[in-house]
Amino acid sequence: MRSLFSAQQFGLALCALALVMLSGCATRSVGPANPADPLEASNRAVFEFNDAVDRAVLKPVAQAYAAVIPQPIRTCINNIFLNVGDVWSWVNSTLQGRQVDALNTFGRVLLNSTMGLGGCLDLASQTGAKRIPNDFGVTLGVWGFDSGPYLVLPIIGSATVRDGTGRAVDLYVNQVGYGSLINNINVRNSIYGLEVVERREALLEVTNTLDRTALDRYSLIRDAYLKRRQAQVGGATAEAEKLPNYEDYGAEPADEKALGLTPKK
Amino acid sequence: MKLRIDLFFKLLLLCGLLGLSHTSQAQTKPNPNASPNDFVQQVADQVLTALKADSSVRAGNTTRVNQIVDDLILPNVDFEKTTRLAAGRYWRQATPEQQAALVKAFRGTLGRAYSGAFARIDEATSVKVLPLRVEADAAATDIVVKSQVTQRANTQPIGLDYRLEKTQQGWKIYDLNVENIWLIENYRGQFAQQISQTGIDGLIQALNQRAQQ
Repeated sequence: MRSLFSAQQFGLALCALALVMLSGCATRSVGPANPADPLEASNRAVFEFNDAVDRAVLKPVAQAYAAVIPQPIRTCINNIFLNVGDVWSWVNSTLQGRQVDALNTFGRVLLNSTMGLGGCLDLASQTGAKRIPNDFGVTLGVWGFDSGPYLVLPIIGSATVRDGTGRAVDLYVNQVGYGSLINNINVRNSIYGLEVVERREALLEVTNTLDRTALDRYSLIRDAYLKRRQAQVGGATAEAEKLPNYEDYGAEPADEKALGLTPKK
Repeated sequence: MKLRIDLFFKLLLLCGLLGLSHTSQAQTKPNPNASPNDFVQQVADQVLTALKADSSVRAGNTTRVNQIVDDLILPNVDFEKTTRLAAGRYWRQATPEQQAALVKAFRGTLGRAYSGAFARIDEATSVKVLPLRVEADAAATDIVVKSQVTQRANTQPIGLDYRLEKTQQGWKIYDLNVENIWLIENYRGQFAQQISQTGIDGLIQALNQRAQQ
């Protein structure tokens, strides 16, 4: 399969990325410093670079994919990749000592792979056994590694120092581990390509909503990502009962007419 | 990154009640004095049934969407409280006119989210409210109700939590959680960022500007 970019274009892209990151450090003003995000300036720069690449390449391809392939087939393909991902989740749940999760995931993979036609039909979710996503970044967290500062990686997107390391392991397993099972290089590359496109397509609704409703997509994505990783490392029980405690600065009853709300009956 | 943020906007629609047209009076209002999870389930079922029957909403008719938000959603949501908590300590610094404008602008943001979310309802969409995990203290006035939303056939359900407060008029929803992300908490960060850069008026303007796009 011919590569999409020539070596020259790839080199130019790398230079552009480096410049973008450096310029971000020099000129960007980002408001008050966020202790969870000490690298905010360069993170924002990479975030914008990722956005540009996404708008130029990934999103149009994903939209074309969505236009051509009917929804049930797209769901089927998505479920197949997620099912394969469940195997790695099972390994990680075991490494973390979460035996209940590991058992549940194992049952999911078994059911979906056999009765679910190789993962196409997500029968396990319909019987109430939710997917338990897990990856090596969470494993490192459970083993006690601190997350390190928030990072935005080129193309890959949100990460932390710990999660980036975990992602490297995930990728190794996915590309080299599973990849070695497929001998034909063209087939293997086509499957990787399909995986990228279908994962982007699965997120199209989310990203469209974000575009329409977020004031500052960067901080929304960052805060959501960090919260989610914290919850995954902490485990289901740890965060379940921890409700955010909002200070209410307007506890006196509000004048509803002044606020333009229809009076409550 | 796997974010489910669109779902909590999509699922604010479940806070509504009544049918979409005044002719469908056969539907009874959900009872805000019932137990909180029953209330949420009644609301969800009614709204979904009504939405599935209306094709203009699925086509993205904005006027219709705003009408639905006003008729079905806002009556069951303490939206002023949601905005107030999202603004945090800046709420006290705002004049009453600014507060009113902020509530209106924030409501516009969420209305835009709904128009996309409503368009994605299909026959297989369903909401299942889970029973209360611990037997709620009879005097509890602030409670979390969990539900599972199945958006399409053959996809895994998504967890959606509502936070309700017991007011004089019964239960009202004021916060939503999708995949560990509370709506108010998330918008607080964005509001604070915007206010620190451009002030409260700047925030209102930014929210309204999004409405034009």
